[in-house]
Amino acid sequence: MSTVQNVEPFGDGFIAALCPELIIFAGLLALIIIPNIGKGTFRIPGTQTRVMWLFGGERFKITSNPKMPAWIATITLGAAFVQTILSFQDGVDRTAIVTESGTQLLLVNGFSRVFEMIFFGALTLAAFASMNRLEVKGIGPKLSTDDLYNNRRQADFYILMLTCGLGMSVVALAQDLFVLFIGLELASFSTYVLVAFYKESKVGTEAGMKYFIVGSVASGVGLYGLSMLYLWAGSLQFDVLAAQFVINGTDPLPLIGIGFVLVGFGFKVSAAPFHFAAPDAYAGASSPVAGILATASKAMGIIGLIRMLLIVASPEASEDGTVWLTLLGIISLVTMTWGNIAALGSTNPKRMLAYSSVAHAGYMLAAITAIGAWNWDDSLAGEPGEAAVAVLTAVIFHLVVLVAFKLGAFLVLSVLESDGDASRLSSLGGLAKREPFLAVAMFIFMISLAGVPPLAGFVSKLLVIMGIVKVAIGQMGAEIMAGGDYGLADVHWVWWLALAMVINSAISMFYYLRVGVVMFFEEPEEGRTGPLPAGWQVRFAILACLMATLFMGVASDQLLEICEVAAKSLNYSWN
Amino acid sequence: MVAGTGTDTIIDSELMQFAPLIILLPMLAFPVILFLGRVFNRNPFWKDTMKEGGIIALVVMASSLIISLLLIKDHLGGFASMKDSVDFLWLNSSVYESGNLTSISFGFGIYIDHITVMLLFVASFLCLLINIFSIGYMNTDPINDNRNHRFYAEFVLFCSGMLGMVLADSFLWLFIFWEIMGLCSYLLIGFYYEKPSAAYAAKKAFLTTRIGDVFLIIGLVMMWDMFGSLDYDVIFSAVEDETFMAGVSSSTLQWALGLMFIGAVGKSAQFPLHVWLPDAMEGPTPVSALIHAATMVNAGLYLVARMFPFFGSEYLQHDLVDLAFIIALIGGITAVMAAAIAFVQHDLKKVLAYSTMSQLAYIFTGLGCAMFLANTLDWQTDADAHYIVIVAFGAALFHLFNHAMAKGMLFMASGSVIHEVHHAHHHLHHHDDHHDDHGDHDEGHEEEFDAQSMDNMGGLASKMPLTATAMLVGSASIMGLPLIGGFWSKEGIIANAWRVALEDPRFFLPAMCVLVGAAMTGFYMSRMWLKTFAGKPKTEVAAHVGQTNTWIKIPLFVLTFVTLSAILFAGMGFTHWAPDSEYGLLSEKNLFDGIAYEMSHAFANGDTFFFILTYVAIAIGAVLGPGLALSLYGGSLAEGEKVKPWMKPIIRLNAWVYDRYNFDNQAIANSGLSRALENRLYFDHYYDMAMLKIVAGFSDKSAETDKNVVDGVIKKIETGTQSISKVVRSMTTGSARDYILMVAVGTLGIFFLLWGVA
Repeated sequence: MSTVQNVEPFGDGFIAALCPELIIFAGLLALIIIPNIGKGTFRIPGTQTRVMWLFGGERFKITSNPKMPAWIATITLGAAFVQTILSFQDGVDRTAIVTESGTQLLLVNGFSRVFEMIFFGALTLAAFASMNRLEVKGIGPKLSTDDLYNNRRQADFYILMLTCGLGMSVVALAQDLFVLFIGLELASFSTYVLVAFYKESKVGTEAGMKYFIVGSVASGVGLYGLSMLYLWAGSLQFDVLAAQFVINGTDPLPLIGIGFVLVGFGFKVSAAPFHFAAPDAYAGASSPVAGILATASKAMGIIGLIRMLLIVASPEASEDGTVWLTLLGIISLVTMTWGNIAALGSTNPKRMLAYSSVAHAGYMLAAITAIGAWNWDDSLAGEPGEAAVAVLTAVIFHLVVLVAFKLGAFLVLSVLESDGDASRLSSLGGLAKREPFLAVAMFIFMISLAGVPPLAGFVSKLLVIMGIVKVAIGQMGAEIMAGGDYGLADVHWVWWLALAMVINSAISMFYYLRVGVVMFFEEPEEGRTGPLPAGWQVRFAILACLMATLFMGVASDQLLEICEVAAKSLNYSWN
Repeated sequence: MVAGTGTDTIIDSELMQFAPLIILLPMLAFPVILFLGRVFNRNPFWKDTMKEGGIIALVVMASSLIISLLLIKDHLGGFASMKDSVDFLWLNSSVYESGNLTSISFGFGIYIDHITVMLLFVASFLCLLINIFSIGYMNTDPINDNRNHRFYAEFVLFCSGMLGMVLADSFLWLFIFWEIMGLCSYLLIGFYYEKPSAAYAAKKAFLTTRIGDVFLIIGLVMMWDMFGSLDYDVIFSAVEDETFMAGVSSSTLQWALGLMFIGAVGKSAQFPLHVWLPDAMEGPTPVSALIHAATMVNAGLYLVARMFPFFGSEYLQHDLVDLAFIIALIGGITAVMAAAIAFVQHDLKKVLAYSTMSQLAYIFTGLGCAMFLANTLDWQTDADAHYIVIVAFGAALFHLFNHAMAKGMLFMASGSVIHEVHHAHHHLHHHDDHHDDHGDHDEGHEEEFDAQSMDNMGGLASKMPLTATAMLVGSASIMGLPLIGGFWSKEGIIANAWRVALEDPRFFLPAMCVLVGAAMTGFYMSRMWLKTFAGKPKTEVAAHVGQTNTWIKIPLFVLTFVTLSAILFAGMGFTHWAPDSEYGLLSEKNLFDGIAYEMSHAFANGDTFFFILTYVAIAIGAVLGPGLALSLYGGSLAEGEKVKPWMKPIIRLNAWVYDRYNFDNQAIANSGLSRALENRLYFDHYYDMAMLKIVAGFSDKSAETDKNVVDGVIKKIETGTQSISKVVRSMTTGSARDYILMVAVGTLGIFFLLWGVA
């Protein structure tokens, strides 16, 4: 176990530690500058001499290319993604970015790196696929104002994607409540605007507005909780807060503070009852953006929850401090059930996916509850950290592979949206005849979401359920093997969460498979029988998702190793 | 992912790494041909030069054959097994182990021993020849235009299934490839799916073999339960392990093997699961050749041959005698029954179909007897016993080889006949509009004329000399005429059946059956040849038949020589083929010694009993049966027709016997027995009736229960959850105010809960 290496801003090792973020930052600058490079000149004051300074004026052909920003964003995000993966090759160094006085601001380790991987991976795919979503009417000076405007705002869209990625990675790295909040808001604001980006569409604008309003309320409550924690401990540092929690974690103030923080992040992961805006937002946003909300944004919420609940309010600190466990258990149960039941009757595929996303949030919360339960109850603890690492690995693995099949599903809908509309289940009708590749891909994404072997979704669900059951049975497992007699009354109550997950998975089969029925057996809608709009980028992204879904299902061991390294590096006292 | 490539090579062969290609090449060609066929259908280059995929298939099958031959050559140095396997682990991570979940291993490996080598050669060699034949047969028939790619795609998949089954290193993979073959047989038999009879035949073949497969899988599960693995390696070393075998119940093992044998009965079309085979003639003739000679039916024999280590185990001595008897008995019954039915068939291919059934039954009898000997004699230590066992086992396997070669040739030759008769018919009746529409089957006279019926042939020996020769040699091999092909192996099977009958009186029945069957074979094979090739043309069409094309001639030519040179194979010790190097190829004996030995062994056996038996068998199989046929069918050819010199004596003999001893067999032909035989002993009738009464009745009841009880409950659950879903979704009002209200409610709930606790 390596010790933390403290690095001051711009000191030794700073660039290596924050390489992905710096790449994103450079990409942001490029996105702002490059579209403005042109034949602009500068008149030296008092003279008639004009000096070429390449800024403004008539743009060059290459810099005015409306596809340019998309490529810059894709390459930037892709480079950041590759950088995070490469950093796993010879083990991630634990590096903390500290202020001059030695306060930790950001911490780079396996855990934060794996989440960066999720964010950048999802954003790369979404950015790449978005190339076929924004309309481009051509290049040149003879465009109408509308077209020019359309070309211009291409850059805006991708700038927002990059800021979103930057904000998310700050959340993953944060070791300080203030930094955490800044990252959270940077990412949130970017997503609010992304949801409402098509302001010509009424639905999109309305959805963005709602998402923004409800989101700001949740953020407000969360911020209030953070300030309560500060009021109580006099510090914003995670480690200071955690130490305080051990001493007097039973005070009402920190408990309520944590509760309010739960509201803020609960909105991000769309946990009941804070999930109401999510279906509207997903349905109103363009599909790639909805895909980001369902994968990257959700992972950001989960990492925030993990940090707040398992590091700051660590249940092992004090027995009474674990009241949030019960709370989280109830929320997870309600969330997964609500999501699945609402999805059952949904006739809009995007809303259906939104509710399925709510249900998956419930599964994740159940897993976090189980980790807490393991830490809390002495009688449950087996080999130190073993069960917690197993469950946490499962959570991380789930979030990684979710990018493949959730985002993939949204990208398929994105192609249909370009064709006109994807807001009814019947829009998928006859897809198997119109474009078999998309139909097969969509079907595989659906059954992976449902958890059918040997796909990635099955492996992740199996791991989560297996982990929870292991936590619930604890030491009893060995004794049962040895012939001990135990009943259901003896297992920890998180066992029931695992059971609820199984029942919910069974329910979810219905609506996932219905998509297949519509695609393969029903006729296309009136007037939508022709071929789908072209665009190789989105299909390439779908293919990548499809390969990942299949590959992670049959050969999960390498990725699992990465996830395990990440899980172990969350809390070093577990080893 | 890949846990490691375990190479447990007893014979070091660098070629082992290429062995998977034998299976993979045809398997990959399947989607390629299908895809290209869809894309380039009707494209002239695809149609004429690529033969709609036939050339791709040809290249692939030739590659498979070449690799197979190289592998076989490497194997011939000694008679141990070669093995090479790759394991793939699923759910393989320390994370799973912490949850007490062990990773699931999927391994595939290649296992080569003396049984594999034989079947590998038969399958890859015949698949290639049948492929060549198909190009001449399928691509010249206008009915098949623009859909031959489907044929070739399914064809290569079929071959891949057979080769995979032969090479696989475990019973599990054997079963997987076995099922691939089942699927392909369904697809190919139903190639003309627009014909109701073809669709029906395909269904029948699939369902009948499926009955056997159910038992096979039960047997495999029992094996798994006993040995904890289905790998040959593991199981075959376990049966030789004294401590392990002490914990195995031999009666359970016998049941497991017996259930697996039922699978083989289905696949190899033995009584009572034989009903699918004659109907399988609905497929194109190359498919019949493929199913009957190269692949499908041999699968069942291969499975039984694979069971040898159980019977040969020291620790199971005398325990599996009953099963050996059942194998031999099923063989004996089928041999006689199928031969009897073949007496009255008029369809050329149907005669061959029943002949296949009957000959396979011989092999089963041979295997059953060899198994009995292995199970009762102390063959692993006693040299004499050893010799007896491997000769018995080798005879059965050698008959498989001879039968496959001869039957492959016979089917292709029959295909050649049918093809030409069909063309001649077209030529006669569409003389004016020959180029207009070949596939017009709506016209009445098309329906009446049956190109496969022997009643429409006759006198073709002069018109199709090569085909007639091939058919003659093939028939002689199946009949077991001395010195030709199947003679060596059939004598071996009969001799061993009697040897066993002397030991165990129960075996008297199968031994009698194979002896009588020899005479019957002589009769129906001669009848088939004479009705087709000798005598005067029975119809106008038969008088106008022409010679076939080159693609069809090549395999006939090659196989004629393979069949005739069976004596060489016998000399090399094919009849002594068993897991021991002493009697194998490349032993100290040279070829001429081997031939001399075989000759003296067959014709001048020192043991009086076997000496007499040999000549009895020859007398009834080569004289009595054919003689009867000679007097009933055929006759001299039409005036002015000339035949090749080697067929002249037979035609003359036929004319002489026919003229002198011909008698009226109307009384027998119209008897009840004959009618029963023509109706295939009413098996289909009773099976259909049983299906209708029992299975259909049960299905109706189940459907009712399903509709009212199961569906009812599901519908209730569905409507229930849907209405809950409606309520839940109605809470998502679409108004941001309500959402904020819910957030507030949630926040307050959390607040009060935490407040209360704290």
